[in-house]
Amino acid sequence: MRLRSLLKRQVTYFVLLLGILFLGGCGLPGVGGTSNSQTIRIASQSSTESQIVANIIAELIQHELGYHTTLVNNLGSSTVAHQAMLRGDADISATRYTGTDLTGILQMDNVKNAKKASAIVKKQFKQRFNQTWFPSYGFADTYAFMTTKQFAAKYNLRKVSDLRQVAGQLNAGVDSSWMQRKGDGYPDFAKDYGFEFKRVSPMQIGLVYDAVEANRMQVVLGYSTDGRIRSYGLQLLRDDKHFFPPYNCSMVVNDSLLKKYPKLAPVLHRLDGKINLRTMQDLNYQADNDLMEPSVVAHQFLVKHNYFRGGKN
Amino acid sequence: MAKLNLWQQFWFYLGENGNYVLAQFIRHFLISIYGVLFAAIIGIPLGILIARHRKLSGFIISLANVIQTVPSLALLSMIMLVLGLGVNTVIATVFLYSLLPIIKNTYAGMQGIDRTILDSGKGMGMTRFQVLYLIELPMSLSVIMGGIRNALVIAIGITAIGSFVGAGGLGDIIVRGTNATNGGAIILAGALPTALMAIISDFILGILQKVLTPREASINK
Repeated sequence: MRLRSLLKRQVTYFVLLLGILFLGGCGLPGVGGTSNSQTIRIASQSSTESQIVANIIAELIQHELGYHTTLVNNLGSSTVAHQAMLRGDADISATRYTGTDLTGILQMDNVKNAKKASAIVKKQFKQRFNQTWFPSYGFADTYAFMTTKQFAAKYNLRKVSDLRQVAGQLNAGVDSSWMQRKGDGYPDFAKDYGFEFKRVSPMQIGLVYDAVEANRMQVVLGYSTDGRIRSYGLQLLRDDKHFFPPYNCSMVVNDSLLKKYPKLAPVLHRLDGKINLRTMQDLNYQADNDLMEPSVVAHQFLVKHNYFRGGKN
Repeated sequence: MAKLNLWQQFWFYLGENGNYVLAQFIRHFLISIYGVLFAAIIGIPLGILIARHRKLSGFIISLANVIQTVPSLALLSMIMLVLGLGVNTVIATVFLYSLLPIIKNTYAGMQGIDRTILDSGKGMGMTRFQVLYLIELPMSLSVIMGGIRNALVIAIGITAIGSFVGAGGLGDIIVRGTNATNGGAIILAGALPTALMAIISDFILGILQKVLTPREASINK
């Protein structure tokens, strides 16, 4: 009797131990543990654009090469995506913008020339982080100040400098990461253009369009590719002092991944120059206005272009 | 799209993206279940242990209490520093939050057993292990189940926040809704299934709890 209960206790301890080991090991069925080395992990930010492009990459890899992919979704900023790649939480960063990485991650000065900026980030990321900056998808997503059409007409606003006479009475809504950014952030903006807004409210970038449409803010800083510019009929203000550096969009890939899967690079290069600004606005519009999930938009886009198999669409 | 009212948009969204919502629903449920399961594996034996050694109970329960007071987003971020981005971080967070209800209920269930029943068990010559398996566990099972039920409902809510560390789940849909032009319908498409999942699992575990209530105890009521 005594022996049997002892044995039973041993079994319980064993089961307990097994449970702890299970907790440590990560391949949980159904949720695709992100530390699984056989899975290609694609980091995407919280913008619709980033999620659509990430889904395009994921489906392209999965469909053409049969590798398993998973998204690390909703990251707050490029910096977070960059850190995720450095730490080994992600292998591919779906949407990275030259201007953001130049001033944010590399801590370098603004470069107004788009080609020069691309060359610099390409070289620096190779040297410092062993990462490859791919050629641009073909669109640039720059920061742009925008107002409603009525407001622009009332104060005759066409370019950013026109805001100067009214800025003292305006509430501005901006991306939260823009506030502290060096080089092309708010402090430098105020210095370059020579005026400040009455109040600047940092918020999630997705909310600024609604805020300006509902007249909660008179002017907001948003992304030029956003589908809502079309659906709300917003007026973009021209950056007449060329304050914002070029924001050409590319994917960034860890070199170790490209080495591990030699077939990957040619497939990823199929996307080079295939998505222009108009196309990106359309894709964003489908997701933001027509209630389609980024994964559905991505799927339809790839099917329409036959996964870019011919080299040309 | 603006012509449709919110509910029409909601159904339109589900029609367009039904498979996606279903996939996220399953993922969300699995993340919650895994966290609670691991908490049960650790928490129930721990609860039994502290019921045996009362001196430990104060320390263990107040430790679990402290974990519970940390705001979920803060705990999630702290665990992210260690485990990195992704689903494991969320499972670990759910695990930590589930510990308190499970440990506390196991402890309470063990404490609530009538001493005379235990004594008669011992009098019959049962070993400590037999007392545990034949008397204590069956009699406290419904209370323990209540803890798991509580934990799972909390877990489903926490998993929704897990979207911020890239774990996926229905939280992804809610966050996307806040980013979209007519996001109302998308937010609903993420939030309603989350609420539904919590209500349904609460209901099912409630039935299970009732089934597991020992007959003597129900007669006494």
